[in-house]
Amino acid sequence: MPEYNGMVQPVRATPQELSKIFVEAVPDEQKPEKAVEYLDSIRKKFRSFVMAMESCVKCGQCAENCHTYLGTRDPNNIPANRTELIRKIYRRYFTLEGRWFGKLVGAEDISLDVLEQWYSYFYQCSQCRRCAHVCPFGIDTCEVTFIGRQILHWLGIAPKLHATTAGGMYKTGNHMTLPKPGIIDTLEFLAEEVVDIYGAEIEFPVDKPDSDILYIPSSADFSLNEYTLMGAGLFFNYIGANWTIPSTVTEAGNFGFLFDQYHTQRSNVNKLLDAAHELGIKKIVWGECGHGWRAAKMYIPSLADRPVRWPITHIHDEIADLIRKGELKIDPAKNYQPVTLHDPCNYVRACGLNDNMRTIINAVTSDFREMTPNGADNFCCGGGSGILFDDPEMYQRRIQLSQKKADQVRATGIGKDGNGILCAPCSICKAQLYPMVEEHELGVEVKGLVDLVGKALVWK
Amino acid sequence: MPCLTVNGVEIELDDDGFMIDPDLWNEDVARALASSEGISKLKEDHWKVVGFLRDYFKQYHLAPMVRKLCQETGCSLRYIYELFPSGPAQGACKLAGLPKPTGCV
Repeated sequence: MPEYNGMVQPVRATPQELSKIFVEAVPDEQKPEKAVEYLDSIRKKFRSFVMAMESCVKCGQCAENCHTYLGTRDPNNIPANRTELIRKIYRRYFTLEGRWFGKLVGAEDISLDVLEQWYSYFYQCSQCRRCAHVCPFGIDTCEVTFIGRQILHWLGIAPKLHATTAGGMYKTGNHMTLPKPGIIDTLEFLAEEVVDIYGAEIEFPVDKPDSDILYIPSSADFSLNEYTLMGAGLFFNYIGANWTIPSTVTEAGNFGFLFDQYHTQRSNVNKLLDAAHELGIKKIVWGECGHGWRAAKMYIPSLADRPVRWPITHIHDEIADLIRKGELKIDPAKNYQPVTLHDPCNYVRACGLNDNMRTIINAVTSDFREMTPNGADNFCCGGGSGILFDDPEMYQRRIQLSQKKADQVRATGIGKDGNGILCAPCSICKAQLYPMVEEHELGVEVKGLVDLVGKALVWK
Repeated sequence: MPCLTVNGVEIELDDDGFMIDPDLWNEDVARALASSEGISKLKEDHWKVVGFLRDYFKQYHLAPMVRKLCQETGCSLRYIYELFPSGPAQGACKLAGLPKPTGCV
């Protein structure tokens, strides 16, 4: 069902697909009542949510700062208005004025139509937090989208893409359902490729006991982002690391973070900690995945069901540290093409990777041009939070959602001669931008940051 | 649930047109799926790509890395898009009876 009353909506997960992630849909006639019940339980736990419900004065600061609104010009995509879709229900059931005066104070009865609105608009928000970044009251609208999606999920309303991706994690330990023999075959193939392309002999150890470093790649690196995986392999071999990739958690992403923080996200966290324990490692290093890094860095400590014994760092932290210490020999001329950096939202507005990414890109490329705005002010690629839907209606919407990004890239001039590099070090950004740079005819190739590091390393 | 009837056999498809049961695949099914993808005639190179995908899937239970697909079949990614306008995942994997890829692709 791509449209409902004129609203675009992603294709829904079937009851079977939901069952694989441990959800049984609530019957339609009970959905409205259950939605209020779930909302009631959540509002009592999250002050951030209550603040969003109570404090917004509709100043409008968020409107022009939201790429979704800029791309679609749909008033419900203004963050303050998107929040209003849930606030009108909150007001009706949980405030005195709403209970007494109803519509007069902007309160509304819950209904299936309201839930359909939630499904459409909470899945056009990419949870990028640019609105939170500019809100004078510090309201984090992303928290509202999290909660809207969580309630929908408990009711049995989730996109097929999110449910099947989360299901892959339960089935095989990664989003792309890669079984261990496939993981090993792909890594052996890449080791051969590295010899041909870079003239370096490297290994990708899988499940090697007593390794120092547990490297968590994004499973999309096994399909589309091969240079990111090769780059990581080149880096770890170059520094002589005792490292391994776990076959049970070959996944930097955590889709639970995006729509089911209670069960899916938590069970993924504990699966990771099991793998770390079993392999006897000393440190966990994360691959290029924006939402996954935020979920790891900011949520593992509170979601873990045990004390976390291992430091958890991002591969960009590791690389930047060695660059600053002068321990990597690098030839930036190997990446001579004009390059710009798309800051993944979760890296710069949630995890403080801003400086490290720039330390790296300045060291490994020779013609780096910042886009404007950048860093913590950057705009989302339009695919954030996994809104990578490919049915025709939602795909058209993705083109609109990436309009702002396309304008930013074009303004740098890197694609003028058709050989620019758009560095987007996150799997969701890459998956969104691979087709979008073609749709917007930007004349650039999309790459990760580790890809550029791998290419620039000078072997002894 | 959408369905495709090929030689009297009902083939169940998901909402995106991918086969639910890959074991029901045969060349006639591939031809029927091709027409739903707007490919009028399957040429030798189409079969080469589809054949490699199926063999790889049988052995490893996943679709090969796109880079590997290109190398093993000798087809550039651009050429694969010419053969299968919706691309290696949406087009080629669908015709080969593989499930729709999940995750960030």
